[in-house]
Amino acid sequence: MTVKVLDPFTLVYIVTLAAAVALAAAATAYYALKSKRVRETPVYLSGEPEMVVSNVSPSVGSLYWGFMKRFAQRLYEALTEQVHSGSLHDWYRFLSSWLGFLLLAALAAGILALLIG
Amino acid sequence: MVSDQALLLVSALVFPGLLFLTALALFTQYLVRKLSARFQGRMGPSYVGPLGLLQPFFDLLKLLRAKEVVKSRYGMVVAAELSLLAGIAFLSASTLMLPLSPYNVRSSFDLFVFFYAASVVPALALALASLSMPGPYTSVGVSRFLSLLTISEPAYFISLLVPAYLATRGSGLLASISEAAVNSHALWRNPASAAASVLCLVASLVSIQARAMMQPFNIPDAEQEVIAGYKTELSGPLLALATLLHDMEYAVSLLAVIYVILGGPSPFANCSLMGAFSLVAKYLALVFTATFLKNSMGRYRIEQSLVQLFKYGLVPAIVAAVLAIAYSSL
Repeated sequence: MTVKVLDPFTLVYIVTLAAAVALAAAATAYYALKSKRVRETPVYLSGEPEMVVSNVSPSVGSLYWGFMKRFAQRLYEALTEQVHSGSLHDWYRFLSSWLGFLLLAALAAGILALLIG
Repeated sequence: MVSDQALLLVSALVFPGLLFLTALALFTQYLVRKLSARFQGRMGPSYVGPLGLLQPFFDLLKLLRAKEVVKSRYGMVVAAELSLLAGIAFLSASTLMLPLSPYNVRSSFDLFVFFYAASVVPALALALASLSMPGPYTSVGVSRFLSLLTISEPAYFISLLVPAYLATRGSGLLASISEAAVNSHALWRNPASAAASVLCLVASLVSIQARAMMQPFNIPDAEQEVIAGYKTELSGPLLALATLLHDMEYAVSLLAVIYVILGGPSPFANCSLMGAFSLVAKYLALVFTATFLKNSMGRYRIEQSLVQLFKYGLVPAIVAAVLAIAYSSL
């Protein structure tokens, strides 16, 4: 067994080199063995024709909003009901509370820095 | 005397690289199928080879040789093939960093390199391959897969990093897998570090279950809901490659847990017969546990999956990290 203690950069170089060799070997074996037959069909839509969908893949926006509305529901509700409720007062109240907190944190950090340093 | 280059080549291509990893992945698939069948009162693979051991190999060969690639006019077959082959290649190369390899490379922070080669690249390769053969079901499956990854990858990484850090601090090779494999068994003897190790083991098992898309986290390829999810448009040789990549990633993830968290062949020496038995026993125990979980739970919906993964994967990993920081500052 050979053990090589290396610096991280040389290790990355050797691992990448080994991956390239493995890729060449795997690709050679795969293309030598694989079936060459290819059949073209419509996109699978549970038997429906392609015209029933406007896009083959859902848009990135749809996936994002699906994630936000289902998994990050509380965050979504906070965003729509407190921050972006349509009322300027709500937006100002939300923002000023965070700005006030940041201002206090900055003041505390400044005082601490003066006391310690 | 075998030269270093020849040994490197053998390690990358034969043992524990491409060839061995393919065999281990197929054997693991056989174990999961056989155990699942027994849990469900079925026979499982029985007829091909002794005890049906060769069934996964012949399934792979059949997909490769006999089945055709079915593609739509939007499909990019070569892009999908190259993505999957790149994932397989990086997984094979990552085994050089495990103490199993006859040409073992190690350095400080090699765990980070291992994580990229064995976890990030294969996951992205699978996602890219699926997206190269687009379809509505594929997109939904991939988006679910990527959503799971946003929690399972950090959980898996932290669960490996914590014991690797604790086992290698003070040595010359910080966060090195091989160094951690020598020392991590000692973490189980100290109650303070054992708590962190237990949490890491739980977090790693839960996150591997999600990365392998096994129940209860099999929502990316939820049958009957999104057909076959991320692999709906994969067929023939492409499906063979995707299945092989999935099984290889699963096998390497379990090997990493054995070496970094469970101390590798400990309490026996690395290159000994008893050490080999110890490795095999730990591997079988992990596969059995994961298959038991797979068969005893139903499928979570995506939002349930994310919440449960967060609770039982990421939170234990973060608590273990906090414990490790407290422990190492003592």
